[in-house]
Amino acid sequence: MRTIIEAHGLTKVYPGGIVAVNNVSFSVNEGEIFGFLGPNGAGKSTTIAMLTTLISPTKGMATINGIDITRHAYQARLELGFVSQDLAVEDALTGYDNLRLQAGFYHIPRAEAQIRIAEVLKMVDLTARAKDKAETYSGGMRKRLDIACGLIHRPRILFLDEPTLGLDIQTRREIWKYINTLREEIKMTIFLTTHYMDEADSLCDRVAIIDRGIIKTLDTPTALKEALKNEIEQPTLDDVFLHHTGKEMREDVSTKEAAFKSRMIMRRARG
Amino acid sequence: MNITLLLSDIYWVFWREIKKFAQQKARLLMVVVQPLVWLVLMGNAMSGLTRNPAAAQMLGTGNYLDFMTPGIMIMTALFGGVFGGITIVWDRRTGYLNKMLAAPIYRAAIPLGKLMSIGLQTMLQALIIVIIALFLGVHFKTGFFGVVALLVISGIFGIIMGGISLSLSSRIKSMETLMAVSNFLTMPLMFTSNAMFPTNAMPVWLKDIALANPVSYAVHAMRTISTQGWIWTDIWPALIALSGIMLLIVALAIRLFSRSVN
Repeated sequence: MRTIIEAHGLTKVYPGGIVAVNNVSFSVNEGEIFGFLGPNGAGKSTTIAMLTTLISPTKGMATINGIDITRHAYQARLELGFVSQDLAVEDALTGYDNLRLQAGFYHIPRAEAQIRIAEVLKMVDLTARAKDKAETYSGGMRKRLDIACGLIHRPRILFLDEPTLGLDIQTRREIWKYINTLREEIKMTIFLTTHYMDEADSLCDRVAIIDRGIIKTLDTPTALKEALKNEIEQPTLDDVFLHHTGKEMREDVSTKEAAFKSRMIMRRARG
Repeated sequence: MNITLLLSDIYWVFWREIKKFAQQKARLLMVVVQPLVWLVLMGNAMSGLTRNPAAAQMLGTGNYLDFMTPGIMIMTALFGGVFGGITIVWDRRTGYLNKMLAAPIYRAAIPLGKLMSIGLQTMLQALIIVIIALFLGVHFKTGFFGVVALLVISGIFGIIMGGISLSLSSRIKSMETLMAVSNFLTMPLMFTSNAMFPTNAMPVWLKDIALANPVSYAVHAMRTISTQGWIWTDIWPALIALSGIMLLIVALAIRLFSRSVN
């Protein structure tokens, strides 16, 4: 199987000496759903931000489909789609216009853009609501529109940062369905972060558990559970997670802006 | 650098801003109402001045509204432009900024596209002020081309204020702080200029400040065009100074923005 993401010794040290990601190495195979799990502040979003070229690593390197993310950031951006946890759609614009704008950012010619917009709208079942403003959408619809935006340039890899954060269980399952469709129908490689274990268990081919910037373990969900068989009867992925990250609660070290942002995500998710 | 791609990126950032602007009905309404209120209210309140011969001489025109209209245009540009940076703070908060940054677009296109939309919005507002002013009997001495010149100067001024605001927003990440700093900037800029009162009527210390204030350059050139005629010795220096300031501020905004997202 071909490797499509490779990370070697990826490290990010923020000003003030906080080591968010510490010497992380892993590889993702083409066509797989790769899950990145970890408690709050474990380094998930920082890793995604580095892989999607939003921030540059302090040390180490990574390639996306063979392209170095630091030296050839521009080319790397063409290969990847990024759906952040923010439900970052433009509320004042219609679903269609959101996609048209995204197609513009990727320099897709007008006629081609129309074809692709119809295609991704169909994929996320939003064709009927395309002419409505995004502010009238529910949280789940916004997330689907955001995913559609991430697909417009037909990336090789889709990064989903906490794709179901703040959504209710029905909507979460609906989003899982779309993620599965992407894998089955267009063989898309998906890199997702989550802190919902059931999500990782039902979606991911392999998961990496990261804590305090370090990858604690990396394997298929089944193998991870198997490894705990001696200690626990019928272990779940929750048990695996707690085994590797400990039971103590995490103090959320956060800035005022970050706190505001997370409140806003929750509000937008509720639609 | 690929110029075609850069222009395309600027266009789409611009498109987003304009499309959003056009969708916000209340905002569009304010564009019309605000200058209307200013002109009618200030025009009426101050028209007594022109009945006083000494004041009329200081104003340089027999009609206070003639004097006031360019001032209102710049004031609208000032208030419109100075909040331009807020869109960046907002984009950062909603995560839309990251969405744009993960796309293969030139970093410079983001501030440039936003500034172009501020420029266009300012010109549109200035045009509305001209139309309202014409209804209120304001006379534009240089006719159609004079009005075009007024719109262009307003646009340049809007871009200058937008550039200052964008530069600040690269450093100031909180919306409340940015609003406070913007307000802190606008009031003194406005009231130490010749926008509402003739410099001849000011005390000497204020007059010196007013003459150095870029708001005054813009208003002086515009007032010359609308009430005196094409007096180039008065117009050129102001135009050159304003264009120079605009280029510097735009360059600064691009630089600070690009640094803030790296």
